[in-house]
Amino acid sequence: MSTTVPATPTERPVPLRSLDRVVGIWVGLGVVVGAVVLGTLVFGIDVPSWFDNHLQQWSKSAYGWTVDHRDDYWLFVFVFEPISTLLDTAVTTVADLLALLHWPGVLTLVGFTAWRVGGRSASVASVLSLFAIGLLGLWEPAMATMAIMVVSVVLALVIGIPLGVWSARSDRVDQILRPLLDTAQVMPTFVYLIPLVVMFGIQNPSAVLATVVYAVPPAVRLTNHGLRAVPTVIEEVGVAFGGTPRQRLLKVQAPVARPTILLGLNQVIMMAFGIVVIAAIVGTDDLGRLVLNTLQKNDIGAAAAPGVAIVLAAVALDRMSTGQRAVRRASRAPSALSRLWAARSIRDRWLIAGGTVVVVAVLSALAGADEFPEAWKVTIDGPVDAVLGWTKEHLRSGVPVIGGTQSISDALITHVLEPLRSWLVSVPWLAVVGGFAALGLLLGGWRLALLVTTCTVAIASMGEVPGGEGGTTAMWDIAMDTLSLVLVSIVISVVIAVPLGIVAGRSRRFDRALRPLLDFAQVMPQFVYLIPVVALFGASRATGVVAAVVYAVPPAIRLTSLGLQEVPVPPREAATSFGATSRQELIKVQLPLALRSILLGVNQTMLMVLATVVIAALVGAGGLGLQVIYGLTKSLQQIGQGVAGGLSIVLLAIVLDRLTQAWGDRADPQRRQ
Amino acid sequence: MIQRITKTQQGEQMTHTRRRVGLLAGVLVTAGLLAACGSDDGGDEARAGITLAVNPWTGSAVNANVAKVVLEADLGTAVTFTEIDEFATWPGMDAGDIDAVLEVWPSGHAADYEQYIDGKKSVVDLGLLGPEAKIGWYVPTFVVEQYPELATWEGFKDPELAKLFSTAESGADLGQFLMGDPTYVTYDEQIIANLGLPLKYVVGGSEATLIETLKTAVADQKPVLVQFWKPHWLQLELPLSEVKLPEVTEACAASAAAGDGGYACDYPADALYKAASAKLEEKNKAAFDFLKKFQLTTEQQSEIAGYVDRDGMAPLDAAKKWVEANPDAVKAWLG
Repeated sequence: MSTTVPATPTERPVPLRSLDRVVGIWVGLGVVVGAVVLGTLVFGIDVPSWFDNHLQQWSKSAYGWTVDHRDDYWLFVFVFEPISTLLDTAVTTVADLLALLHWPGVLTLVGFTAWRVGGRSASVASVLSLFAIGLLGLWEPAMATMAIMVVSVVLALVIGIPLGVWSARSDRVDQILRPLLDTAQVMPTFVYLIPLVVMFGIQNPSAVLATVVYAVPPAVRLTNHGLRAVPTVIEEVGVAFGGTPRQRLLKVQAPVARPTILLGLNQVIMMAFGIVVIAAIVGTDDLGRLVLNTLQKNDIGAAAAPGVAIVLAAVALDRMSTGQRAVRRASRAPSALSRLWAARSIRDRWLIAGGTVVVVAVLSALAGADEFPEAWKVTIDGPVDAVLGWTKEHLRSGVPVIGGTQSISDALITHVLEPLRSWLVSVPWLAVVGGFAALGLLLGGWRLALLVTTCTVAIASMGEVPGGEGGTTAMWDIAMDTLSLVLVSIVISVVIAVPLGIVAGRSRRFDRALRPLLDFAQVMPQFVYLIPVVALFGASRATGVVAAVVYAVPPAIRLTSLGLQEVPVPPREAATSFGATSRQELIKVQLPLALRSILLGVNQTMLMVLATVVIAALVGAGGLGLQVIYGLTKSLQQIGQGVAGGLSIVLLAIVLDRLTQAWGDRADPQRRQ
Repeated sequence: MIQRITKTQQGEQMTHTRRRVGLLAGVLVTAGLLAACGSDDGGDEARAGITLAVNPWTGSAVNANVAKVVLEADLGTAVTFTEIDEFATWPGMDAGDIDAVLEVWPSGHAADYEQYIDGKKSVVDLGLLGPEAKIGWYVPTFVVEQYPELATWEGFKDPELAKLFSTAESGADLGQFLMGDPTYVTYDEQIIANLGLPLKYVVGGSEATLIETLKTAVADQKPVLVQFWKPHWLQLELPLSEVKLPEVTEACAASAAAGDGGYACDYPADALYKAASAKLEEKNKAAFDFLKKFQLTTEQQSEIAGYVDRDGMAPLDAAKKWVEANPDAVKAWLG
């Protein structure tokens, strides 16, 4: 603002920079339009077939080489092999430990830890969850899943939190890490699952690594976000008191950023459990395998139990590590039990805690409680099948006013998805590139426009794949197909998630009621509920949209509600003291201050939608997801197709991510000042 | 290790964060001790145990369990199973983590065959299992009963009949042809184009989606045309009819091999085969020879699969029952 043009006091000063900016944007848009017209005249409406980066061929030969040299190349023998052994040992050790404790011992350990970390309700929730798994008769496979998850989550945190701290401190690191995190989060697991098996062997090591890759991003992102959101005033207090950077991080920033970092932990756990079924492809003998096996028989009733058990296991681990109390530790008076506990010395605490667990474990061993009592087993196949049967019979058609799922599906495809897809495919490809570039220019500026252009052109350079009319199809056309699906899914998700997030942010009770539901939506293996959806919406893109929406809504609700809850009390009190109504306070104070967090929610929605592209393809949505599935399984022949398809998904994600991010930055009140 | 334990125990002045570290260290130490205890199981049994891959379909479980019963009873070879995806099975055999797989569908694994059996020679072909599988075009039987002309591909040339199969995905003018798992071999797009049928090729994406679509279609009596195959448990449950495609000719086979897009006939039969890790022969020669001779006829395999799918028996029990009742077949594998 220092360079404003001097003006008469009555007139508002016109900032010179903003004038520059307006002119710059018009010139920029002119350049974009010119380039599109010229480019289309030169290169044509469709992507020319010579425009090919040969990634497909390259990946194919790289994969072939890896297969041939996995026993003799130094990297595989001296680096990957030991890592593989280490991971396998870690998982089997945790599994042995859990088996040694017997089920009563595990319940004691979990209940106790949850009580210390999360408080009484967390303790009750996690113990009940695990107990319910036992009742479902799935204790053993659940412990196998637990072992893989514990190792994966710990590894994800060990990698993720330091990276988050580092990127909070350095903008450059942040910039370098962002595309890598996007890739890790969005690159479909199917693309690298079989190569992982080739490099690290079947079962545990590959399962852990696939899980870690997928679960690390939220740890980094939310640590980074939390530390960066620490208000400058608080930071400066730390500096004023002469704190070293290390002290400031541990004593000032980390405590303030704690809720966000804990949300990060929650998301790491949810992500990790979200991949249990896919990881079972590489041969883990756990809940994921049970889901795969029952689905193979189309037995949804039987798949429901291990599916629910995965959710319960996730809830137990989550509540054990990120209970409400950890968030609001200071705000509540300790219970009598907690006071009694606090009065013990640390050594006593260790002895009591460890002692109790050991005693319970020994007693169980003596009592022969090796397995969860068979007599208590509860089956849910019947009720689940009954509910599904009813749903299929009554919701597909004949519902008053809306018709039924079948007509909704048909309308969504015929009137929304197909017109959008064919429009995106029919316009000159450079016009789509130009459209994104223009958006980048408007939301962010030259650099963003350039980045977006590079990414979209890179998608166009992915070459052709077999199939379609005339025998081959350009990857670009397939990407446009996916883009149409993704855009529609994002809009629907945001329309559902943001209002729910606002309500949850204002009502703690609603928030608490919603939480298990969100966990369920995020962790329940999608395949289990999507197969019945196929009956309702058909093997079609509409079912793909449902898949994406169900998966993308939870993080958006969480972040919106967190954003509202994090609005500092002083501005809200100020508003109240000025006589603002609750509604005014929401619209004028809370929402603007929470906007950044809400837009982060929108941004996450988008990444989630893109992360479901493959699952969507498994229920009939086609597009890039299908290319990835080809890549998983026709191994050598089409691995390139999978890599190119997967990378196209990542590039689309980066484009959409940077655009929404720039939009978020523009909406950020702190930056506007 | 002992040092670390004492350190954790004298942690009175440990700060809050340190305590967490202490906990972790404690767990790690215990973990280490456990690992040390767990790894001293020496093997002095007669023959090395082997690991068989079990892929997620009944036939695969049937073969593996029958082999397990005989290997354990007659050859002193303990058998463990690894339940794993069929494509992840191959790198597993390459590394020797999996010793053998007893049912490979050749159409889906041409690339694996080339890579591991012909190329690297880390996997060996154990010969045919016996049963033949066959991919084809299928409609629910009620469709053929209502429209007898749809029993062969020529019926689909009629646009009006093809429209019976239209969906939102195919558009109103074309019928929908639904492909299930895209990783299975498919010439359907070529067949449709080369025979000039008014059909649109739509990929459902997975076997589960395909099955759900078939079940819904039969429940609603709505026509659907899909790629399906035999043997499959669903064939016992739903009345399905194969649509007759043009006979397989040499030209067709040549076109498939060349990949020139000119394929326009029925699918050839798939002769299922067995494969083993190249390391197995050295590790346990008796088991290797046995698996090489191991064969089941289509009837035998379906009989045991029926015990599992129809009667709800555990695969191992089904295998035991069959082995007890068929000593001659077992003798042939061992002789």
